[in-house]
Amino acid sequence: MRTSDRRFALWLMAPAAAFLAAFVLWPLIRFVSNSFFEISPMAGGPREFVGFDNFADALASPAFQGASARTLLYTVIVVSLEFAFGLAIALIFASLGERSAVFRTLFMYPLMIAPVVAGLLWRFLLIDNFGIVNELLQNAGILNQASDIGWLSDPDIALFAVALPDVWLTTSFITLVLFAGLQNVPGDIIEAAKLDGARFHTLLFRIIIPLLRPVIAVALIVRGIDAARAFDIILIQTNGGPQESTTTLSLLIYRTMTRYGDPGLASAMGTMFLIAMLIVATFAIYAIWRPGSDK
Amino acid sequence: MIGLETNRRSSRIFLWIALAVVLVAYGFPFLYLTLTSFKTPLDAIAVPPTVFPSEWTLENYVTALSKDGVIPALVNSVVTAVLSTGFSLVLAVPAAYAITRYKTVPGQVFVVAALVTRMVPTIAIGAPLVETMRTLGISDTSLALAIAHTTISLPLSIWLMASFFEAVPDELEEAAKVDGASRLGALWRVVLPVVSGGLAVTAIFAFLASWNEFLFSLLLTSVRAQTTPIVIANFQTQFGLDWGGMTALAAIYSIPVILLTLALQRHIVAGLTLGAVKG
Repeated sequence: MRTSDRRFALWLMAPAAAFLAAFVLWPLIRFVSNSFFEISPMAGGPREFVGFDNFADALASPAFQGASARTLLYTVIVVSLEFAFGLAIALIFASLGERSAVFRTLFMYPLMIAPVVAGLLWRFLLIDNFGIVNELLQNAGILNQASDIGWLSDPDIALFAVALPDVWLTTSFITLVLFAGLQNVPGDIIEAAKLDGARFHTLLFRIIIPLLRPVIAVALIVRGIDAARAFDIILIQTNGGPQESTTTLSLLIYRTMTRYGDPGLASAMGTMFLIAMLIVATFAIYAIWRPGSDK
Repeated sequence: MIGLETNRRSSRIFLWIALAVVLVAYGFPFLYLTLTSFKTPLDAIAVPPTVFPSEWTLENYVTALSKDGVIPALVNSVVTAVLSTGFSLVLAVPAAYAITRYKTVPGQVFVVAALVTRMVPTIAIGAPLVETMRTLGISDTSLALAIAHTTISLPLSIWLMASFFEAVPDELEEAAKVDGASRLGALWRVVLPVVSGGLAVTAIFAFLASWNEFLFSLLLTSVRAQTTPIVIANFQTQFGLDWGGMTALAAIYSIPVILLTLALQRHIVAGLTLGAVKG
């Protein structure tokens, strides 16, 4: 490579690098450093260095522990339901071949819808007294009365209920990604297995899933990160209630920062959230993807 | 093809039925939202609920659009999304080109940075950005929000554009350079037209990221630059529970995106699956 080429490449990258440094890296550094200070909520108010006190406070607080557990549970619910539905639908599409083209397009629409719209919509579907879901369940004879299940008002099930729009919205993503991955599975391997008399579940667990491993890894990691950060979709459905049963980390951090006016504590919570995400994602990339090991 | 296709009539019927169930389950919520937006306000919250309006009306659309701040919010959403898409493309295209054409260390750093940026909780950079925008004197403007939205779309744009540049053969530019074009001229006149499809994909995703974004919009705007998702969320508190109006505004907000999807569906599938399948 000529030296001038290298310089040319650097010039091309410089604007984007400067942008990310100014508007991602620098805010992030400030956010993390805030976690070591006791900060007055007023703009320009006093700051006092407190070391790891905010971290200790956060770890000791039941609100933080609860929100962490709920974030984990929410992410597991969302990602596992999406993966199960997404794989099933991708397999249906693949089995129908080109005949499924129109349906693949239709299936893409939820992906384009704003999460806040999806959250609003599902709140409307699940609302206790006039929600259509309970009405349909009653008509189907599953519920005695339409008001028997308070999807979003019963603290025991609210976390599952707020996950529904997320699943509805983004199963399509997993389906599309897995379907595209299936297109790259060599047909003769599957034909050969079929000729050997392999049953469907053998085909699925011994051949298809192992071959799709890298694709599955990317899809799960991307969705896992997004589900863990979910904010708008929960805020609009329950605003964290009832009885904090849907207050996940993003909501707790937002509230600690704005309503409770403790930016230092909020930053400590956010910093731990960020570190946890980095650790889990790095681990997931190596454990599921195992670069090079399948080749 | 992949050998999964079935030719047994019975399994095909089973598959079509399964697909129909899935489509009804997935389509019903949106259909119900759209139908509700055409009901009278009382009809929208009737007990027991009905699927179809007893009387079709545009009343909800009229009330939603005539509420204070709704039209400005729609305008703000468009301005912010267009600005942010522009920023994303202008910054991402040269960077992605440099990353794929010249294998340099900063290029590799970029690819990793793009991954890490995805893992950062929005709130972690949103709060300090509020101060940054205050320092820059652009608090509560579409420009500030567009900059914030670009922090989300830029890494994705770089990633997508890099995949598209990867597919362009080197010989193309070499030929252009032999013909006397400069490096920048070769990029502008020869390479960019070849990746125009990729530019469209990248633009759509940048636009969608900004159009649907909520938390930055909530943190960085108060009155002047507020976007529609915030107004939709505020409907429940500010105007009581106006479900009819909310569903109407939600439907309006989804229309441009649905039209965009219809027009560019092939590109969108390409964009969604590109990076993921390549691993």
